[in-house]
Amino acid sequence: MPTRRDFLKLGSVGVAGLVAAPPAAPGAADAAETPRYPLLTIAPLKDIGAGAAISFAYPDRHSPAMLLRLTAPAVGGVGPNQEIVAYSTLCTHKGCPVAFKPERKMLICPCHWSTFDPAKAGTLVIGQASQHLPQIELRVDNGLVQAVGVAGLIYGRHTNIV
Amino acid sequence: MPVSRASSVDSVPLPPPGAQRFDTVCQFCIVGCGYKVFKWPVGRDGSPEAQGNALGVDYTRPLPPLGEWISTAMHSVVTDKDARRYNVVIVPDKGCVVNEGLASVRGGGLAQTLFAPDRATKARLSQPLVAQGRGHAPIGWDAAVDLGARVIKAVVDRWGPDAVGMKFFDHGGGGGGFEANWAVGRFFFSGVGTRTASIHNRPAYNSEVHAAGDAGVAALTNAYVDAELADTIVLVGSNAYETQTNYFLVHMVPNLNGSTLARKRETFAGEAVEPARIIIVDPRRTMTVATAEAAATPERVLHLQIEPGADIALLNAIGRVILERRWYDVGFIGDRTEGQTFEAYQRSTLAVDRPLADVVGEAARIAGVSPAQIHQAAEWIAAPKGDQSRRRTLFHYEKGLIWGLKNYENVAALVDLALLTGNIGKPGTGCSRMGGHQEGYVRPVYPGGRPALNVDEAIRRGEVKAFWVGGCNPVLTTLRAEAMETALKERGAVVQSALDRTAGRPVGERVARIVDALKLGGMFVLAQDIYMTATAHYAHLVLPAAQWGEVNLTSINGERRLRLYQRFMDPPGEAIPDWEIMARFGRRLRALYLEDNNPQMANRFLDFTWKSDEDVFIHARYQFKGDGSDPIEGYAGVTYDLLRRLGTNGIQTPTRIVNRVPVPTVRVHEDGRFFTPSGRARFIPAPQPWPGYAAKVVAQRTQFPFWVNNGRTNHIWQTLYHHQHVPFYAEHNPMPHLEMHPADAARLGIASGDLVELSNDVGRVRAMASITDAVKRGHTFMLFGQPRGATGDLVSDHVDPATTIPYYKGVWAAIRRIGPQPEIQRTVSFLPQNVAR
Ligand code: SF4
Ligand code: FES
Repeated sequence: MPTRRDFLKLGSVGVAGLVAAPPAAPGAADAAETPRYPLLTIAPLKDIGAGAAISFAYPDRHSPAMLLRLTAPAVGGVGPNQEIVAYSTLCTHKGCPVAFKPERKMLICPCHWSTFDPAKAGTLVIGQASQHLPQIELRVDNGLVQAVGVAGLIYGRHTNIV
Repeated sequence: MPVSRASSVDSVPLPPPGAQRFDTVCQFCIVGCGYKVFKWPVGRDGSPEAQGNALGVDYTRPLPPLGEWISTAMHSVVTDKDARRYNVVIVPDKGCVVNEGLASVRGGGLAQTLFAPDRATKARLSQPLVAQGRGHAPIGWDAAVDLGARVIKAVVDRWGPDAVGMKFFDHGGGGGGFEANWAVGRFFFSGVGTRTASIHNRPAYNSEVHAAGDAGVAALTNAYVDAELADTIVLVGSNAYETQTNYFLVHMVPNLNGSTLARKRETFAGEAVEPARIIIVDPRRTMTVATAEAAATPERVLHLQIEPGADIALLNAIGRVILERRWYDVGFIGDRTEGQTFEAYQRSTLAVDRPLADVVGEAARIAGVSPAQIHQAAEWIAAPKGDQSRRRTLFHYEKGLIWGLKNYENVAALVDLALLTGNIGKPGTGCSRMGGHQEGYVRPVYPGGRPALNVDEAIRRGEVKAFWVGGCNPVLTTLRAEAMETALKERGAVVQSALDRTAGRPVGERVARIVDALKLGGMFVLAQDIYMTATAHYAHLVLPAAQWGEVNLTSINGERRLRLYQRFMDPPGEAIPDWEIMARFGRRLRALYLEDNNPQMANRFLDFTWKSDEDVFIHARYQFKGDGSDPIEGYAGVTYDLLRRLGTNGIQTPTRIVNRVPVPTVRVHEDGRFFTPSGRARFIPAPQPWPGYAAKVVAQRTQFPFWVNNGRTNHIWQTLYHHQHVPFYAEHNPMPHLEMHPADAARLGIASGDLVELSNDVGRVRAMASITDAVKRGHTFMLFGQPRGATGDLVSDHVDPATTIPYYKGVWAAIRRIGPQPEIQRTVSFLPQNVAR
């Protein structure tokens, strides 16, 4: 399965094509079934203004996510300046909904105060989660920003595609 | 370097209903959270329906918040000695009263620390090694033990037992346990008989809380439930959110936000109750301060952001206000303390012969806080509640105080405040250290006196001929660490050439040449550990130990909760438990002394015949009577069987035997008795206003502009011995971070992520800058034991002469920018780590 490590190695620009490629066969017998992610159009690129924070659900309607247009290039970002990113908004500690604080440039969980950096692939800044925030893999196709995959297990699931 | 992808996997296998189950406790911090382990063969996974998996949880739909979720960090695949691969899932136990199902960032990754041949933890030591040329070669246990035991015997016979030096863990949890500690103590104290002993990163073998001991107050007095019941919580030098996480989150936060009010009403019928207030004494605005404010509203949080070394002045002034306002506990002092010590305390410590305003004003100046804050602290600690009932205050202290200016008086000043206000031994009160690692200390009495002798200095002077390091890494963490490294390198090299010259020769000849080398100033080094540490690199014998999960072990947490940490997998290769390593050496020494017709020495190594971890546990138990006279770790009457039945909740020590059954002690001193001959507590003088800096510290302070506070952080456990092999943690701190105030950083042209160098009269070290207002101007904070830059290289050899405890926090240095680190700046987050809203 594509890991976010591969994703990042490929760079933050050439996202298109990565997820479209057929997922690799699980390398080890212990890996559970590889999910196949749907393609979801989130919004036209031109409608995503500076400071935009757009809620959506991905890969299914029970999985809240948020698209952010940051002010500087971000790891895994798309768009003209690689500043558009998206994350699952379920905290990877215990599943409370994280909120984006633009003035802080971070996502903060109100339950036990884990904080995540949207410019650094959802890295845990400080807090009690044992995974980073799952990053929604994006691409821009024909002027549309689309979700094509998820790097990291979403809270509450044993596999992202249930 | 990509950003970490421990979490890049997007699924986890579920344990099948038939998976093996084990109870354990987190291997990391003092809190000791309960965890459940599931293990099953790869390829036999459970299914998402509730009846299809061992957790009995319905995973067919996404879980609601606070569910029993298995994060990808909670799973890994291990290979046992049967060469079969097993899935292991380690999840926090919701049935454990300590953590109620919560993991912290460290505990959530327990599964990632397990040995696996296909992950970075394969770096584990798996064979005994002997130094050979520039590296190490396998030697096999029998030959390793034979060579090591012969060298130890030769050293003892020629130079006496004190020429054998040791620096060993005394931890509970992952770093030790009662079994390992007992075996180590039997070997070095009952067997070898050395006084040249020291505890992990410290230079000597000593209590860190001698002053509490002298006062008759236990190091761990309260139960965690007391944090749910207290009116006021006082944290001195403890960053609880980050380093005692689930004690703070599960027991303090609910009190701060009012969710324990019903419990308080029920426990204290008729007494005024409200949500708790909290006083945090810390030179930094930590995440603990930020989260306390988020939980309690800022008006109920008092952060005293003190200057280094000012604890005594601050605490004494608070005591003086309490005395002056007559908020002290007359009944408690009269009934429970030695009266003459209270008289002396008022003069020596509370300065009753000076006007109150002078005392408070002076303390405020020294501490860098306002007189009003000192009065407010006194009020929150001791002013009667609305209904005139006595306020219940829970005092906690840790390294900020213990490793502060003057270990003995620092701790005394706080314990005195607890005695003055009668806050020990009652629900909602207590005076305890917070703790760092867990506790599992049980050993024969240390043969040295007090203050204990300084092993680091004995090594530098060449008095130590054989030096055995177990489960610690002084090359990174002791004071003047570079001098330690130089001693290991230079004294070790002499022995090394003797070893190289005699490679392949009979052991008798090798030992003879080694002894010649020792006569020339050489030092034979043994390292017993789970990884090839910076210290082990210099060892002539490297002894691979089994770790947490590969042995059964027992330990207590910060409320003295004793549990069995069950073995659930095999150690790598030939690694064996620490107690077994000591036993092998003990048996060999006995045989060598018998061959030598020295029954007297042979008999010192009599009891190394244990067959199992439980044998060691039961052997160590003999000293406990269960009659109320035992020390706080006393576990009279406890067996592995009992602990297996009690699971992750265990039993709180010291146990007392009632009708042949061990019963727990929820709070120490609840019977009104203290650990002194009179049974009454003693006030210990802590001279007012404060002792000031020692000459060596003054010299360093004058020469170097920045105070380098240092310690542990949320993400990183100790020296990263595990975490450097787990990307999620290692990538958070690819090197130590150095927190700097924005104004200081601007002046030096330093940006977050820049490489900086700290230097002083002791040494130099590098770090990555992290610009934050968490520190005051002129203050900095650095992660303490990172392999790529350890503050030990900057810590001077100044110790509290009364206790031989170093002033680890007392470091001053110059800082200069070296340059940018683009990869680190691209991938590591430098957002502030003290923001909760
Ligand atoms: S709080 Fe401490 S004991 Fe609990 S899970 Fe975290 S590191 Fe482990
Ligand atoms: S659920 Fe988000 S920090 Fe605990």
